[in-house]
Amino acid sequence: MNHRDNIDRSFEGQLSQVEWDALQQAVITDPELRREYVEKRWIHALLETGSEALPSLFAGTAPAVAAKAPARPFLWLSAAAALVFFCATLFLMADRRADNHVATLIEAKDCRWAGSDLPTVEGAGLVPGTLALMEGMATIQFKSGATVTLEAPSILVVESAMKCRLVEGSVVADVPESAHGFTIDTPKMEVIDLGTRFGVTTTPLGNSNVFVFEGEVKVRQGDSPEAKHLFAGHSLVGATDPQPGQDQEVRRSEPIPSPGDDWTPVSTAIGLGRDAYVRRGDDHGPTGGHPLLMVKHTDLAANNERRALLTFDLSAFTPAQIRDARLALKMESSGLGFSSLVPDSRFAVYGIVEENATDWSEQSLLWENAGPLVDEALSETTARRLATFEIRKGSPNGLIETRSEALTDFLRLHRGELVSLIIVRETGEADKQGLVHAFASKEHPTSPAPTLWIQTAPAE
Amino acid sequence: MADTGPDQAAESYLLLLNEHEKSLAAYVYALVNDRHDAEDIIQSCKLTMWKQFDHFEPGTHFIAWARRIALHQILNYRRSAKRKPLYSTDPAFLEAVAAEIDRESDRYSARSEALEECLKQLPENQRRLVLLRYYEDHDITSIATETDRTEAAVYKLLSRVRAALSDCVTARLNAPTT
Repeated sequence: MNHRDNIDRSFEGQLSQVEWDALQQAVITDPELRREYVEKRWIHALLETGSEALPSLFAGTAPAVAAKAPARPFLWLSAAAALVFFCATLFLMADRRADNHVATLIEAKDCRWAGSDLPTVEGAGLVPGTLALMEGMATIQFKSGATVTLEAPSILVVESAMKCRLVEGSVVADVPESAHGFTIDTPKMEVIDLGTRFGVTTTPLGNSNVFVFEGEVKVRQGDSPEAKHLFAGHSLVGATDPQPGQDQEVRRSEPIPSPGDDWTPVSTAIGLGRDAYVRRGDDHGPTGGHPLLMVKHTDLAANNERRALLTFDLSAFTPAQIRDARLALKMESSGLGFSSLVPDSRFAVYGIVEENATDWSEQSLLWENAGPLVDEALSETTARRLATFEIRKGSPNGLIETRSEALTDFLRLHRGELVSLIIVRETGEADKQGLVHAFASKEHPTSPAPTLWIQTAPAE
Repeated sequence: MADTGPDQAAESYLLLLNEHEKSLAAYVYALVNDRHDAEDIIQSCKLTMWKQFDHFEPGTHFIAWARRIALHQILNYRRSAKRKPLYSTDPAFLEAVAAEIDRESDRYSARSEALEECLKQLPENQRRLVLLRYYEDHDITSIATETDRTEAAVYKLLSRVRAALSDCVTARLNAPTT
């Protein structure tokens, strides 16, 4: 079989799976063929990615004249006519998108965009295309009247006045009478509005979650033709089946950058370190092996309260050596709740003073057995409030670093080799579906574990 | 690193992204058969790069870093369950092709500009074909109908155009710089 012919055919989708498999194997084993494949494929890829610019590129230059020069004047004429026709066609083709707005970006608060292919200034008209929001919160009004608020980090593909697709992230949709049937598509489900306010989240792994604040939506999952109806106050989760083997390939990202030479990192993964979170009601059992440490405070739904507990093994230090300390946490999106429903949030870091309280295990820690650690207000005999940090609305990723004299003093005066800290959120929420904040735990596949950076005095 | 504020980080990220976006997109399109998948992967990749930007060491090769992240995204990509894939692709094949692109990285990066010049030299009928195929995103069958050719003829002509472009680009890059 001639693999060389099949290279071009593969670009046009003309190979059967069997032929494609044969070509793949040949490319893997034959370096010469591989080089040729990549040469051809690269040209094809450049044409695909640069396709938007083709009309203007061609419009700027006359086409090359065919090999033989035209002998008679009328041929020149017809060539000129052809050119005019050709340019007009190009013009129409380029113009076909201009008056095609399906939505307007009505609000863009503190937004940063990651090279979206749509305009990102407030008031901009949007044609079908992709918006990638790195930071902040943006509101889009579709021509149908539906309003969608996008929370960073999110990727939303605007498809029409009645449809968009959430690739990753969270949106809250407000849909008036006029836009019934407005649809948000996600990798796992299709959410069709029947007159409501609802929220949808999708994690990078493709897990989706829909929650209805008011009214009713219809949800279609995967290939199933059966639609489910979902009413106010209810939610539905669509999870991707884990693909065995793939997760092991995930490389752990580099550790948190060092503040300086005399600083030593101690993560919860070191020595007898541990991390977990507890949730009131303990619906899901112990969380010690979970990749995320979830934290939330709410006065509206008692069982959604969550606190994180971190234990660091400081046996490598003598307390007197410690000059300064910082706590570093990597934020991750929890895929739970909506940040538009939570204001800028303040978090507090408590140090546990009661010695027995640091004696906990990842396998068994629950809200129920966490004793004084989960008291509504932590008492002075249990824990000391050491530091606070703030996370702004709409910025659920990034690195948090917090330091205070109280934290350094606490480490310096602490007895015992293990130090335990509690992370609580002090800010409540306006709606039960407010965002659950999350930080990477030591079990997270790609992000660094909670880390205590310790600056030590140089040895004399 | 500790002294760079979030604003500065975002600015330098966007500058680097702007400079290398085309090359990153070509890389993803070279590895992914389905156009919609490729677009989703490129967007996810930009966001992941931003999330991990504090791990990028300034002064090192941004595009090489970006490609590593992109390859990881491609290998772990999960398509919307509703769309059937055109082909299923062997991860070993993706790794092999990615390694070949890395090996010749500089040569491939230089191709984009040369290609523009070569496109300008195409005769009219070939331009039309390129527009129908790439700008209008038509498949072979509908191009055949529109241009009143057989599918085999369209397919042959397209291969020939791509081969001509490839030769022209290679010739331009090998030509002594004037």
